Amino acid sequence: MVQSARCWYRDGGDALIRREIDGLTLLYHRPSGITHIADSPVPEILDALTRDPQPLEAIITRLAHVFDLPDGSDTRGLEQHLEGLVALGLVRVTV
Amino acid sequence: MRHAITLGIGPARFRVGSAWEQSIAALRTLYADYPAPPDGIADFTVRLDPAGPGRRWWRPSITIAGDHMLPDAAPMALRHGLLAAEMGMNLQMALGWRRHLLIHASSVERDGRALVMTGESGSGKSTLAAMLGERGWRFMGDEFALIDLVTGAVHPFPRLVSLKNDAVAVMRSEVPDPARFGPLMEATPKGDIVHLVPPPEAIARMAEPARPALLLFPRFGFTPEVRSVGKGEAFMRLTQASTNYVALGEAGFDALHRFVDRVPALALDYPDSAAAIEAVERIWADLP
Amino acid sequence: MDDSADQDGAFPDESPPGDPLTEPQDAPRRRMLLLGLGAAAGSAIVSIRPALAQSAASVLHCQIPIPDPARADRHVAPDGSLVAPGTDGAFPGAGRAFTGEEVKAALRQGRMLPGTGYEQNRAYLNYIRRLQSGTSGFTCYASLQMPR
Repeated sequence: MVQSARCWYRDGGDALIRREIDGLTLLYHRPSGITHIADSPVPEILDALTRDPQPLEAIITRLAHVFDLPDGSDTRGLEQHLEGLVALGLVRVTV
Repeated sequence: MRHAITLGIGPARFRVGSAWEQSIAALRTLYADYPAPPDGIADFTVRLDPAGPGRRWWRPSITIAGDHMLPDAAPMALRHGLLAAEMGMNLQMALGWRRHLLIHASSVERDGRALVMTGESGSGKSTLAAMLGERGWRFMGDEFALIDLVTGAVHPFPRLVSLKNDAVAVMRSEVPDPARFGPLMEATPKGDIVHLVPPPEAIARMAEPARPALLLFPRFGFTPEVRSVGKGEAFMRLTQASTNYVALGEAGFDALHRFVDRVPALALDYPDSAAAIEAVERIWADLP
Repeated sequence: MDDSADQDGAFPDESPPGDPLTEPQDAPRRRMLLLGLGAAAGSAIVSIRPALAQSAASVLHCQIPIPDPARADRHVAPDGSLVAPGTDGAFPGAGRAFTGEEVKAALRQGRMLPGTGYEQNRAYLNYIRRLQSGTSGFTCYASLQMPR
């Protein structure tokens, strides 16, 4: 299997304001001024990202450290979420 | 502007000018009990302009203009000038007010706590607020609820209540004083409309905010039902009901989050006003 | 690399007291996280698209001229595009603007725009559906779009 060389990261500091309500997470992205409402696993994925780019495997490892991942180490679901977050401008990717 | 008046409604002040005297005269009569802004300085200007050359005299029709405008506004008949003035003021608030988070909602107050009712045109929020205002509640507004960006309090915006079609007859039987009703404007694009002056107490206390205690999503003309509305859904629906949520940026986000976090939300389906009033009183009494 | 000391990875309002990413291995039962695939993945986040046109325009009576005044001499083809007058099958402009209420009734309840027959009504509605930002009537149409 070809390992993806892409690495994922997000803006540091307080680019994203987060508020929890009723088990959902409200996100206000300062650079874009756009508001999003997110459900698990998106907030957890965002938590696992830092300002330094990480490949999928490293992100899975960080998540597995805190959560029980029944999908095992299959990274495709994670990648799909990350792609969606890139499209929304909340996450960045390097190649 | 040939004819003009300055009005203070809640925290906002409007300078309304018109090419014709009659609309300004109607405003002067209906807003007679509102405190006149002391220095004549206005937050917004509204102008009722003739809709095209010669239209001041020949088949006069009005274009609503002002500091803030929307394209595609339909010209209105001169006999609907009072309605045009009200709509012009609402438009300035919707597009230009930044000092509070603005939500399309009616509100009433009791014991320092506010009931906020939001919904589409036809949900009955205006009529319900007007009726509650005649039954021991303080009327705070029928069109916009102003949410303080720092404290989260609801500030009154008690403009003239816009009653449409069947609601007119309902309120005529609720309010014995004919002087509180404006002229009947027939066959406007939204039907027959009559304006109702809010109760004297509502006007006298229009600078007094209240802490929001309940958010209601009313729906008129349905089998009675009360449903809890989750905070996520309430947040989403209020972003759609707010005219300035995006423009306020982070302050809007904070204010709206605070609002849905602290204020319980219910959906109320009701077949008629009497049922709604009874349900509201019951729900309010049960609030912690 | 542990960046818990330098707040980069953490949300400023994080409520749990400690950084969950550095919890000890023997912490009690972890919560399950479903990363999923397919339809479920990617739908866990919704962007708010506030109804600016809708909620502000609802305070006004708006209208849609057919066609817009800048192209008043054109005719409306059945698919809603504007064509030269006299084109086969195309209809002349309405000669009046339709109100937001009239258009809403036509779009949502199947009523015909006043004064039009079946084919003409369909052509006009297709014209309305094709309106672009900047064309007269667009804001009005946009305000009818999303139910609130």
